[in-house]
Amino acid sequence: MSAVKQRSRKTTMLEAINAGMAHELENDPDVVLLGEDVGRAGGIFRTSTGLQQRIGSKRVIDTPLDEKGIVAHAVGMALYGLKPIVEIQFSGFIHDAFEHIMFCAARYRWASGGQYSCPMVIRAPSFGGIKGGFWHSQSVEAYFVHHGGIKILCPSTPEDAYRMMIAAVRDPDPVLLVEAVPLYRAMSASFVHDGVPAEIGRAEIIRPGKDLTILSYGPMCHQSVIAADDLADTDAVDVEVIDLRTLIPYDIESILKSVKKTGRVVIVHEAPLSMGFGAEMAAVIQEKAFGYLHTPIQRVAAPDVPYHFSIGDECYKPNAHRIGLAIKRAMAFEF
Amino acid sequence: MIRNLAASRLKMVQHVTTRKKKTVGKGKLNAPAFICPLAQAKDHGIRQVMDAEGNLTGDLADPDLADGQLIRLYEMMVLVRAIDDRGWILQRSGRVEFWIPHRGLEAVHTAATIAFNDDDWIFLGYRHPGTLLLRGVPLVQLFAQFFGRADEPFKGRRLPTLMGDRRANVVPMTTQVGSYIPHACGAAWAAKIKGDDTRFLAFFGEGSSSRGEFHSALNFAGVHKPPVVFLCENNGWAVTTPTSLQTASTTFAEKGDAYGVRNIRVDGNDPLAVFAATREARDLAPEKGATLIEAVTYRMGYHTTSDNPDLYRTPEEVAVWEAWDPLIRMRKYLENKDLWNEQHEEELWARCLAEIDVAVHAAEAMPLPGPASMFDDTFEEPTWMLEEQREQLLAELEPGE
Repeated sequence: MSAVKQRSRKTTMLEAINAGMAHELENDPDVVLLGEDVGRAGGIFRTSTGLQQRIGSKRVIDTPLDEKGIVAHAVGMALYGLKPIVEIQFSGFIHDAFEHIMFCAARYRWASGGQYSCPMVIRAPSFGGIKGGFWHSQSVEAYFVHHGGIKILCPSTPEDAYRMMIAAVRDPDPVLLVEAVPLYRAMSASFVHDGVPAEIGRAEIIRPGKDLTILSYGPMCHQSVIAADDLADTDAVDVEVIDLRTLIPYDIESILKSVKKTGRVVIVHEAPLSMGFGAEMAAVIQEKAFGYLHTPIQRVAAPDVPYHFSIGDECYKPNAHRIGLAIKRAMAFEF
Repeated sequence: MIRNLAASRLKMVQHVTTRKKKTVGKGKLNAPAFICPLAQAKDHGIRQVMDAEGNLTGDLADPDLADGQLIRLYEMMVLVRAIDDRGWILQRSGRVEFWIPHRGLEAVHTAATIAFNDDDWIFLGYRHPGTLLLRGVPLVQLFAQFFGRADEPFKGRRLPTLMGDRRANVVPMTTQVGSYIPHACGAAWAAKIKGDDTRFLAFFGEGSSSRGEFHSALNFAGVHKPPVVFLCENNGWAVTTPTSLQTASTTFAEKGDAYGVRNIRVDGNDPLAVFAATREARDLAPEKGATLIEAVTYRMGYHTTSDNPDLYRTPEEVAVWEAWDPLIRMRKYLENKDLWNEQHEEELWARCLAEIDVAVHAAEAMPLPGPASMFDDTFEEPTWMLEEQREQLLAELEPGE
């Protein structure tokens, strides 16, 4: 690899996803990218800009408008030995393909006694903040975490997006990559495009602290850090923020280590509250670290209603203010 | 031995006749005289090589299979029927949990299988034991699957008859019927992308054509031209639903026209017509892409052992199809060519039953899987979550104090 390529580059999330896919498409002839409008146009968000021109239309494929069909054909491709990357245009359109993700791709290895497998990446552009209404702002990850056979990743930084894309493509099992649409162009970061994959199943402490642990993923990590910084100034609370990064399999060691240190937990996700990923977090923490908890676990999430079009970005989606209130509740609680 | 065979076949016949007695004359199911569409094949656009008597119709050309291949095909059809007879008995006597009969459907899958090369991929339905046997899978392995034993490829995880084996290039179905049609199409597309010459065959029933996946697969296939043959077995009934409630199209084959996919309708109880159409579709695949074949046949047995056909069809209808039984027609065809006689027939049935006896006993003696094996193959490497659950479950399954 040339010295020029190794140099650190300022990269947005969108460019990072593109670079991750490009790296795998260029280095492995079995990798294909398929989806609606991903070829000539480079995807409606332009995450695959230039890839068809570089790789060719045989492997970067504009498909018919049919989410079920796209994923189902990718399942067949994976069975035969390709490693498909599937783009679902918005995660709000993924439900038509649910059966093929959860009961075909995630089940083929088990149901065939290990004879077949479906290594594939399903990209699900998710979350609100772009005035999309509920079809274009969904947090769908909780639908996919209920049984094994599929890994769920959610990057919150450009470097993670790049490395998780590479890790997902190389993983022997299907991976759902929950991409944060509101972060696509919201931030950039410098890192070396060296083709090194992320480690699946490892969380990261993105803000160290000793009084309280926030567990979050995706765009809510950033809101959590803002809330933590604000309260450090006003309330002298030292909050640790953990970016879970992988939902299945989640990093139990990092979670428990932090919880045992702080004794207080706030779980933050943009998806609706009930039976969400936060419920699993709360359950596993009380099972494994009950004696360490000083106060009840708090959850910050969206209500169990659809994402509102005109006021959702401001009122529906959790934000630093609401996270701050949850932190205060956890700190002030008295038995 | 031959008497055993006769007894076994008699049971099937009794099974049909009892139903006749029960339902005739009840009025509710009285329908106009049913004529088998195969008897009016031309009117229905159904292509045939042979008629009911095994004589050439002059429609589709006889594919001129070698004598040995014709005999192999017929012998497999008989073995497949004998397996069905035994499967039924094993279920009714409580030794197999569940059975999906395939009586009357012996021709389509056996003939289509030999129309493909052994390194081609087949996506199997659940009435197709002959495909695996023709590709060298031992009979005992099939019965081990029916009994859910540990040492069969799927480790006892799948319902009886939901078969397959990667070593034979036969992909086990995803059991939501029709869901795997685009999987076959996608695999064929992958082979095309990789520049391989592998061809693909997917079996499914006419009921599956109502699912979105059928539409998806044919639509993608029309656009991207993967080397796949979609073989729709129109056996008249999707569980209890007749074709008239499944589609308003005149045929299932014509659905291919809407997607730019070549299509043909053949007599599914005429193994040579199935062979001819499937072979041609396979050979044309690299150039023309996909073909949709509708094989018109009839499910003479129950949908599954949990079904009761008395509720939805008349014995007269079944009887009309008995005259077009694919085993009888193929046997007559062979007899017309002096390749078969009564002695061959008796010896074959005796051999089939003996082989099944051996396989049943060997398979039934095999152990069931242990509970730890449930956790295997969920991922390539188990997650900590699964390891923890496995450990806890095994501890809790230990006999108590």
